[in-house]
Amino acid sequence: MATFFGEVLSVYSRAVEEDDDDLDDENEDEQIHREIEEKREVHIAWCPEVAQSLEDSGSNKLQCSDLIIAVGTNAAGFLSAYVLNTESWDAVGHVSLWNERSRGSSRQSIALLPGEPACLFYRHRDNPAVLVCQSTCYIAEDQLFQWTEKVFGCLQKRGLSVMVLSDSPVAEYKTPDYLYGSAVPFLRSLKSSASESQALCPALEQPNILTGLPAAVLSHCQVHQIPAVLYQCYTDVISPDSITMETYKPALLCLSKLVKLEPCLSADVLRKFAIITEAQSNLYT
Amino acid sequence: MSYDRAITVFSPDDHLFQVDYAQEAVKKGSTAVGVRGENVVVLGVEKKTVAKLQEDRTVCKICSLDDNVFMAFAGLTADARIIVNRARVECQSHRLTVEDPATVEYITRYISSIKQRYTQSNGRRPFGISSLIVGFDFDGTPHLYQTDPSGTYHAWKANAIGRSAKTVREFLEKNYKEDMESDTDTIKLAIRALLEVVQSGGKNIELAIMKRDESMKILVQEEKEEYVTAIETEKAEKP
Repeated sequence: MATFFGEVLSVYSRAVEEDDDDLDDENEDEQIHREIEEKREVHIAWCPEVAQSLEDSGSNKLQCSDLIIAVGTNAAGFLSAYVLNTESWDAVGHVSLWNERSRGSSRQSIALLPGEPACLFYRHRDNPAVLVCQSTCYIAEDQLFQWTEKVFGCLQKRGLSVMVLSDSPVAEYKTPDYLYGSAVPFLRSLKSSASESQALCPALEQPNILTGLPAAVLSHCQVHQIPAVLYQCYTDVISPDSITMETYKPALLCLSKLVKLEPCLSADVLRKFAIITEAQSNLYT
Repeated sequence: MSYDRAITVFSPDDHLFQVDYAQEAVKKGSTAVGVRGENVVVLGVEKKTVAKLQEDRTVCKICSLDDNVFMAFAGLTADARIIVNRARVECQSHRLTVEDPATVEYITRYISSIKQRYTQSNGRRPFGISSLIVGFDFDGTPHLYQTDPSGTYHAWKANAIGRSAKTVREFLEKNYKEDMESDTDTIKLAIRALLEVVQSGGKNIELAIMKRDESMKILVQEEKEEYVTAIETEKAEKP
């Protein structure tokens, strides 16, 4: 029964006798819900050194000045080619989760197999306060909040600054103007109100919105007053593509202030990402 | 913004969006280049990397339509197959009806008419391919035509379609010479144009040539290597 104040009260009918069976059903329902919740729980596994640093710090939080999150295969490919291709990054953790589209893996190792969806963390050896997260697996809506809470729960909020790189299909970009082929791919940015840095591309126009992990991260940063900037790349290619990856280059300006980047681009790494999908498609000749 | 849903509807600024989107599909195909010489016509295509277990021979981009005409396409493979089949039947029908092989222009016009028809009926979408059609008429004149998804066709001296068509076309504009008498020069121009955009040289190129009164010939690896080596030598010798 819905009340005036919006609560829902269960009302017992005097016409029917309440059996014990109903209670069992409820218990069974609860059990099923609990099992589903457990199955869909988001787990973060850190490598032993990081787990140790978490324990050693009194607050169970890592010192982190910059967190760079790449969501999508092109964003992840860009980071792999331009940033992570040097030897100075260590894989320090991964997020494992299960949903209908990401069956998850119970692998203990952290190595990212090319093409396999995963969510991995890397830390710079010389500057351990810089963390990179590559997320190529699908995270369901009900798991996004957990993901952000658990990941940001491990990081110290003070002095933290976040950059998110995210892919999106250009078909979802709403504009009154006709988009000519040469304009695609392109970048748009969004910032949290605490962010004072200048975005390197035009802001995302209305009525376009963000969804998924980038939206969850940006919302979290907005609520907790963490400076965050997001670069969304609209592309017409579904698979990893070197031209789309190169569109993220303006972000290198910010990254180069944090860590030493390779001066020349690693074309082999880009090609490696692109070639994985090219050979499979016979749609176009 | 809903003007792109139905093929038969013009947008307020006179766009047929489906046709424009079909042009985008063409850009997803690998590059094809065509050059018309005095005595030879050449088609060169970038060979796609095939999957390990896939038969190399079944991925073909250059198809002969008749003894005197052949074509290369860029875009949706399945659409190309339909167009090629219809064109082949039409070539034979023409031979049987008028007892002469179809001219290059005739078969190009036929293909373009099919494509145009599909931009003007509802319930169907345009063909997502552009094609380069080359050959010799029975009077010995060489031709190169290009068609696109809208159903237009034009004659060209040299042109490119597909992924990096713009780069290749610019190269051709700079390097095409009107009085290219020698077959070798024509073939080398096509190869050089392709090498501008194809990685790792001659291995990823397929070349088909047709000389006057001869049938189409697809160059074997050794012949391609010969040309590529000659080109590289010339490049090295240039000041």
